[in-house]
Amino acid sequence: MIRHLQMQSPEADTLPPQTAKPSLFPVFDPSIPISKPRTKTLIQSHRKMFPQFGATAETLSKASTMVFRIGTDAHLYDDPEDVSIAPLLDSKFDSEKCEALKRLLALIAQGFDVANFFPQVVKNVASQSLEVKKLVYLYLLQYAEKRPNEALLSINYFQKDLGDTNPLVRAWALRAMAGIRLHVIAPLVLVAVGKCARDPSVYVRKCAANALPKLYDLRLEENTSTLEEIVGILLNDHSPVVVGAAAAAFVSVCPNNLSLIGKKYRKLCEILPDMEEWGQIALIGILLRYVIARHGLVKESIMFSSHCAESYNSDNDDSDINLALKEDTGDMGSGIYRSEIANMVSRCYIEGPDEYLSRSSYTNGDSSKLDSAYFTSGKSNDDVKILLQCTSPLLWSHNSAVVLAAAAVHWIMAPMEDVKRIVKPLLFVMRSSNASKYVVLCNIQVFAKAMPSLFAPHFEDFFTCFSDSYPIKALKLEILSSIATDSSISFIFQEFQDYIKDPDRRFAADTVAAIGLCAQRLPKVANTCLEGLLGLTRQESTTSDFGSVDGEASVLIQAVMSIKAIIKQDPPSHEKVIIQLVRSLDSIKVPTARAVIIWMVGEYNSIGHIFPKMLTTVLQYLARCFTSEALETKLQIVNTSAKVLLCAKGEDLWTFKRVLSYVLELAKCDLNYDVRDRARILKQLLSCHLGSQGVEEETNRLPEKKDLTHVLAECILRGRTKPTSPEPINYRFYLPGSLSQIVFHAAPGYEPLPKPCSLLCDDLGQCSYVVQGIKVPGEGTTSSDSYETDDPDTLSGSLNERSTSGSSPQHSLTGSNGSGASDDSGSANGGDDNTASLIQFSDVGNTYIKQNGASQSGSDDLEKLMSKRALESWLDDHPGLSDLNISEQIQDRNSSARISIGDISGRVKPKSYTLLDPANGNGLKVDYSFSSEISSISSQLICLEVSFENCFTEPMTKVVLVDEESNKGLDSAGQTLVTTESSLTSHNDVPTLVSMEEITSLEPGQTTKRILHCSFPSPSLAFEAGFMV
Amino acid sequence: MLQCIFLLSDSGEVMLEKQLTGHRVDRSICDWFWEHAISQGDSFKLLPVVASPTHYLFQIVREGITFLACTQVEMPPLMGIEFLCRVADVLSDYLGGLNEDLIKDNFVIVYQLLDEMIDNGFPLTTEPNILREMIAPPNIVSKVLSVVTGNSSNMSNTLPGATASCVPWRTTDLKHSNNEVYVDLVEEMDAIINRDGVLVKCEIFGEVQVNSHLSGLPDLTLSFANPSILNDVSFHPCVRFRPWESHQILSFVPPDGQFKLMSYRVKKLKSTPIYVKPQLTSDAGTCRLNVLVGIRNDPGKTIDSIAVQFQLPPCILSADLTSNHGTVNILANKTCSWSIGRIPKDKAPSMTGTLVLETGLERLNVFPTFQVDFRIMGVALSGLQIDKLDLKNLPTRPYKGFRALTRAGEYEVRSQF
Repeated sequence: MIRHLQMQSPEADTLPPQTAKPSLFPVFDPSIPISKPRTKTLIQSHRKMFPQFGATAETLSKASTMVFRIGTDAHLYDDPEDVSIAPLLDSKFDSEKCEALKRLLALIAQGFDVANFFPQVVKNVASQSLEVKKLVYLYLLQYAEKRPNEALLSINYFQKDLGDTNPLVRAWALRAMAGIRLHVIAPLVLVAVGKCARDPSVYVRKCAANALPKLYDLRLEENTSTLEEIVGILLNDHSPVVVGAAAAAFVSVCPNNLSLIGKKYRKLCEILPDMEEWGQIALIGILLRYVIARHGLVKESIMFSSHCAESYNSDNDDSDINLALKEDTGDMGSGIYRSEIANMVSRCYIEGPDEYLSRSSYTNGDSSKLDSAYFTSGKSNDDVKILLQCTSPLLWSHNSAVVLAAAAVHWIMAPMEDVKRIVKPLLFVMRSSNASKYVVLCNIQVFAKAMPSLFAPHFEDFFTCFSDSYPIKALKLEILSSIATDSSISFIFQEFQDYIKDPDRRFAADTVAAIGLCAQRLPKVANTCLEGLLGLTRQESTTSDFGSVDGEASVLIQAVMSIKAIIKQDPPSHEKVIIQLVRSLDSIKVPTARAVIIWMVGEYNSIGHIFPKMLTTVLQYLARCFTSEALETKLQIVNTSAKVLLCAKGEDLWTFKRVLSYVLELAKCDLNYDVRDRARILKQLLSCHLGSQGVEEETNRLPEKKDLTHVLAECILRGRTKPTSPEPINYRFYLPGSLSQIVFHAAPGYEPLPKPCSLLCDDLGQCSYVVQGIKVPGEGTTSSDSYETDDPDTLSGSLNERSTSGSSPQHSLTGSNGSGASDDSGSANGGDDNTASLIQFSDVGNTYIKQNGASQSGSDDLEKLMSKRALESWLDDHPGLSDLNISEQIQDRNSSARISIGDISGRVKPKSYTLLDPANGNGLKVDYSFSSEISSISSQLICLEVSFENCFTEPMTKVVLVDEESNKGLDSAGQTLVTTESSLTSHNDVPTLVSMEEITSLEPGQTTKRILHCSFPSPSLAFEAGFMV
Repeated sequence: MLQCIFLLSDSGEVMLEKQLTGHRVDRSICDWFWEHAISQGDSFKLLPVVASPTHYLFQIVREGITFLACTQVEMPPLMGIEFLCRVADVLSDYLGGLNEDLIKDNFVIVYQLLDEMIDNGFPLTTEPNILREMIAPPNIVSKVLSVVTGNSSNMSNTLPGATASCVPWRTTDLKHSNNEVYVDLVEEMDAIINRDGVLVKCEIFGEVQVNSHLSGLPDLTLSFANPSILNDVSFHPCVRFRPWESHQILSFVPPDGQFKLMSYRVKKLKSTPIYVKPQLTSDAGTCRLNVLVGIRNDPGKTIDSIAVQFQLPPCILSADLTSNHGTVNILANKTCSWSIGRIPKDKAPSMTGTLVLETGLERLNVFPTFQVDFRIMGVALSGLQIDKLDLKNLPTRPYKGFRALTRAGEYEVRSQF
């Protein structure tokens, strides 16, 4: 108390003279040093609040703060080190220990490293006082990883506490023990968690569930199965609280082990509404993934109707859905375009946008249709119905995250006519939870783009209000412009007119852009929009002269741009608008706006009847002001005069020629090199036009003799821009409610929906994954591998990893053994360069090798044993594979299931490609399997049995497989059709591959086997196959 | 999965850091954050999800305090944001407000709370009632006690019973000598009046706030006389979904103390209680401003604390404003506020004045939006009426109280010209 008051005193010294009034607490002891000037900032903040009261208020407020701070830990935060902490820690009084620990905590809060007190603090873990215990735990968790040896000292106490009768003590001990994160004690923690998972106290069981991700984070592979087992036990718990925590653990421990959900599915659905909100969020996601993996997507949902609509017209059941779809989207006049977005949305949800976009760039549409086998009927499937039923009351949750998660389930799974159920709750969240507004709007934006009819009646909810921040306003504008209909557009425009007057000019400019978008979507209002925009340009051009008003220019530029975009859709009918714009050219001073208008002159010079007659005047005007223009305007003037000349006929030609020569002469002497270069190029290109009259007549007479440069000029300058779809459709869509959707790139750990129907339930009720190999080779593995590749080992760090491209080398980052898995089974592609990939590399699958390997080899038992061990030890490094439970039937058809075409840079996002075109089956097919023979060359090497099959119609020659490193030059030979790199493992040795003997010729259909000797482990062992046809 | 939580003061100082997982986050991320917040201004500060070079950041700002959470992996962003909101709610409830000093003074409690609220990056106990039982909020008695005795433990030694019950929001064995329950309808009116003076949007966002002090495990049923007017609803977790789905009846076991039972929205209201008519005419470098305020529809109760606030556009150099009632203030950031209070019987309040435009600017080309504030005690403007409140499972007859209040929410009037 005394010390506390003393703190105030030196502050009187620091105050400016006029405020140095006598303190209410005149206890003064200058010997106490003040290390930190917090009280000063305190005074400043009060001064800010009551400027008019001045000094008296300061003393008063000081006094009041003093009173309020009595009995708090304020002095500890301000001066944690004003007494020596170490002796206090060793004190026999709990209160002194507490004070010492609080001081340490204050230092931690302020970012100091106090790890050197570790041994003394650890001793206090034995204290009986719960408060001391809690503070020790807080300290311990902060530093345990740095001081592993000392942390081990505390384990015994935790073990003892775990047997305590007080559940709170047990729970805390478990939390602290699991939080220490030492590999050495992991087995102990695992036992403790297993025990606590069966604890009578709900709270302890919940903490056990929370401890699972901590253990999993240590990446001890031998524990994985035990962890999953415990997750299973906790998911079966009768308390909703525990199940919620278990669901969260499931997400981080084994998100793909959906078979664990199988039998419990109904129970989990029933328990969902009773759970805590945080558990609900996790469980909703799991249930959604399970239903999709088990039953596939819903036929009546947006996921289906969008991309199967065309292919199922013959089917009676579906035709009415198609009609519904057309009604929904057709009235916008761009129904096809809309369904294209919906299609893209649904494909992105399943594959992830990166895979989808890269694949769709070179397979043309066909393979992007989902198989109808992936769909189930939402009306007849009970599991789907239950899921929708149990999530719909959650739309009333007061937690916005729960509402959005529930809405996402309905968006993906609900029949089209029921999706509208999510609209009102989503709009309500926007009002009821201010902090969530932005994220909810981002998600609504996607929904509204894919299905504008959903939100069209609720346009009023997207009117902006004063308290909205700029990003929210911009989002609302964008949504408004995509949901506007012919009936609502007049209200929206009235609102927009108000926005244009808003003092925030950036927002006003966005509004003008939104008007342009509306006009493009709704051609009926295009004329009204144009009038409005023209009026605006006239008005803005008068006010934008003032340099002080920065925003004005942007509004004007945006207005002209919007006009340009609208005209582009149907130039001939908007001739008058162009004329008006050109007329106002004199008053518009903003260079960018001028440049756009001048561009329009050149582009639409031959449109209509009146405009071409104006051209001579316009060009003369432009030529006259050329010297005083800005760079971009100058360039456009040069271009435009050239364009006009090319299109000109008759008597104007001569004027145009004069104008162009004049402009070019001026441009040649311009200060800017861009302008000079442009002038030179155009002069060369148009030399025949600028020349004497005779040339022109000649070209008219003998059109076939047209100069090459003339054709070139025509191509460059008269190429009409084609009307494009209103918005570019290369959006990236991620699952609704995900972080990735907000930041527009796949965050580490993002997973698209599982492959529909990839989870099979056989009669025994046991679920197993089936790799959907035959149909779309490689895709089956993609879904299961993507997690491995986003291995949290690799999360800790580098920046470029999170870049949108998502492709960065991971080798340097992977610390522990998790990395290998992706290399083998995760099929990354190197395929950007080879558009007609022909080589197929099929992995027979490790389970298969394990079981059948023995029968393949005829060598003696000892060798077999040795090699199998070698193989298994290698396989142990690849947990991703052993997790994959490949069922028997697939093993029989091992021919093409897994393809590994690796390119290191592509490994973050595994991509799979059909390298052997299934349609015509051309190419070289290469299968490999691990033979159990010991290499005859060296015992260090492992034999890889590679079989080549020629699927071409012509014989191949000189097929050879070489180490990638040693054969960089092969490409340049020109005869290599394909290079396929299959990176098999990654370790730290030097790659060794004994080169294969060359197959001199391979007849069509012929199969040849070769044994390859290579050493495992080796870093990125990659092969190149070369052959000649 | 959240990795770290930082609490930043309004000057960007890191007051507290709480590492949540083994993947520690260096506090230099806060420097990055603050630099960007300063350089990019408001739109960044209000962006709740930010992708920094190393982490994804979630932020909420409450009364000058920035709550910052970091993650590196995919997780529902709203979960992070909602959690931070919950932390802010709990802290401000515990500390009786939120500011830099309160947090620093009570940093131990903040740590204790955070540790209980989140475990390994996943929310653990966020229910305020349970938290209260685990960690006692600081109050005068305990403060004085701690000064006197030197013992300041605020940690409970036993696990709250509610953690095990099927109603986790309620303590099991509560005893109150006076059993009482109060139901408040607190409504906010959102309205937009556009430049033509047309009411574009008028709706009520309301909350049913309950303050219950009831013994035992009571079962309450609240029904409305006109539930059909409710456009949207959302409920406290204690509300059972079935009775609402079938009969629009709220059936629940209440938490103890004050809580928000339900929020709702009533849309498409036809009129507002007051009118505000701002008129701006500009000519020759000056602008006349005239704002009239009056009662349009008498709600039957007095309309209180009426205030009008607006932001002067940047192109205005100076303003001279006077009013015939109330006081007019122009703050440094060009915010004008006119507090009227009650409307007098004898005259209609008006504010007039001249604004001087930037030199060279003839006429005003942008127009401010006026935000209106008022409050009316005793009336729920939505017209929502509570029919009855039934209580079961109670030893004695409790006292029941009902109140209503309407205030302005996002009520804005765009100026006319």
